[in-house]
Amino acid sequence: MPISREYIIKRTVSLVFVVLGVIVITFIITRVIPSRPELLWTGPHATIEQIERARRELHLDKPIYIQLWYYLTDLFMGNWGVSWRTKMPVLPSILGALPATIELVVVAFVIAIAAGVPIGMSAAIRRGTGVDGAVRVFSVVGASTPVFWLALLLQLVFCSWLGLLPAAKRVDEYLVLSTGFRPVTGFYLIDSLIQGNIPIFIDVVRRILLPATVLSLYPMCLSIRMTRALTLEVLNELHVRSSIAWGIPRTRVLYRYVLRNVLAPVIASLGLSFGYTIVGAFMVEIIFVWPGIGYYIAMSLLSYDYPAVIGCVIFVAILYSIINTAVDLVHATIDPRVKL
Amino acid sequence: MNLEEISSTFKLIRSNPLSIAGIVIVATFVIVGLISPYIVPYPADAWGYSYNLETRLVPPSPKHIFGTDEMGRDLFSRVVLGARFSLIIAIGVVSIALAIGIVVGLVAGYMGGSVGMILMRITDMFLAFPPLLLAIAFAATLGRGLINVIISLALSWWPWYARLIYIQVNSVKNLLFVDAARIIGLSTTKIMFRHILPNSLTPVVIQAALDMGSAILEAAGLSFLGIGVPPPIPEWGLLISQGWALINTAWWISLFPGIAIVITVVGFNLLADTFQEIMDPRLRSTMVMRGI
Repeated sequence: MPISREYIIKRTVSLVFVVLGVIVITFIITRVIPSRPELLWTGPHATIEQIERARRELHLDKPIYIQLWYYLTDLFMGNWGVSWRTKMPVLPSILGALPATIELVVVAFVIAIAAGVPIGMSAAIRRGTGVDGAVRVFSVVGASTPVFWLALLLQLVFCSWLGLLPAAKRVDEYLVLSTGFRPVTGFYLIDSLIQGNIPIFIDVVRRILLPATVLSLYPMCLSIRMTRALTLEVLNELHVRSSIAWGIPRTRVLYRYVLRNVLAPVIASLGLSFGYTIVGAFMVEIIFVWPGIGYYIAMSLLSYDYPAVIGCVIFVAILYSIINTAVDLVHATIDPRVKL
Repeated sequence: MNLEEISSTFKLIRSNPLSIAGIVIVATFVIVGLISPYIVPYPADAWGYSYNLETRLVPPSPKHIFGTDEMGRDLFSRVVLGARFSLIIAIGVVSIALAIGIVVGLVAGYMGGSVGMILMRITDMFLAFPPLLLAIAFAATLGRGLINVIISLALSWWPWYARLIYIQVNSVKNLLFVDAARIIGLSTTKIMFRHILPNSLTPVVIQAALDMGSAILEAAGLSFLGIGVPPPIPEWGLLISQGWALINTAWWISLFPGIAIVITVVGFNLLADTFQEIMDPRLRSTMVMRGI
């Protein structure tokens, strides 16, 4: 059943208001809370002329509602300020770093689903046994682990001690030069496959494996818990019980009826955990020197590069709102029971 | 809750080893947090006001069971004292967030109409930020500091409690005793705070107490990003980030504070699961029936 047009329009309108709200909140944080915003904007080593210029550029001498107007128009014109760490405009830097982060998060989600759904289902069909208990403990411990700590430890064990995987970066630069690899889309996994560059592809896979696994832990635990609960619910439903009673093999019942009912809501819930995961990516990226948005914001935080930090905050918040809306729309298309 | 419900709740908790583990962990954490300044073996090391050249980077040993850091400070003392700072941060964040959330949710829920709508729209705008991202923006603006960490996290947390209170108030405000209070002419503030609030508070306060685990986790994240508490405070996230540079020579500096975080947060999360089972009557009846 296709979703109604009114629903799409309603969600789009509310998305516009949410984005406006996000921008207004960041305006209050950056311009109203600090007593002298221009000092934050120019950083600790600014000269008096630079500070004066920032005052004019930020329109701080004008009334607050006019400041808000300029703030909004600046954002929509793509004028997000200049990072004084890299001396580059903020928005192009973020857009350039975006594919690296998206690739990492997508691979993390694939790992989360590929491991989480089978684990959750096998715990549910063995409800109350030792396996079930172990899975429940794992899902609680996994959701309680600081992602940056786990990243540090796994990097130490797998890269420094065992030497199994490379410790940092998306791809080996020497390999890039020697094989003539040219990124096109910025998603190295796709780029290397398109160009048939197998050595690069293997290198990229080896490098993305560890950070993506660390990042997948939280969404994995979430999908384990959801899958387990949903499977228990579906197993109790009449059509599943009667098909088992009819003598349909249990594995087939699981694949045919249970998996189909479980998968859509689990994937939808992952969309909502996108926010948590992308903030987790900030910390994973800085540890694995992964040149995405997270690395950019983390380096900016460490050097008090305020325009870059706020630019990233606005960008990620808008991205998060768009993805939430998209997930809701897709979920409504797949699952006709959703009525919001 | 009547007597029967309380006894079945206790039965539920007692029969589930994970719930008992949660209670033990959280109780230990709170007690250690309260008494840690008086029990740490090396108080000067714990507070970070010492520099012992001869005991730099000692691996875990009987004298220093968690080893020492690059300043020769006993890591065990620092991790134990860290419980106190985590407790302070957690209680601070949750209580400030709860205070803001209660006022906003209560006013929005009871007043309803355009005031309620505007307040809840503002709440939704705050909820449009991914967790921790808004706190990062606040912390980057306010600068480093224990108080600033608490304020930053609280300012990004209150919307959750505002929503919860709002839902509770909406289910309570049309009950008979509220009508009665209105008819005898009590003032709006009195009805809100004396009659509606006490009847919608309990689940939210319990939820908030259990959220302290997440507060500890997020504060550690802020400290790791360099916008949390400043050194030499032995906050667990900060200890991990200080061990980061030395991870290849002295793995123990980052390992033990992280274990402390995991155990503490697991304790709170186990309790939160128990609480959800208790609050969900459908689950509870089947569990009591099956004798779990």
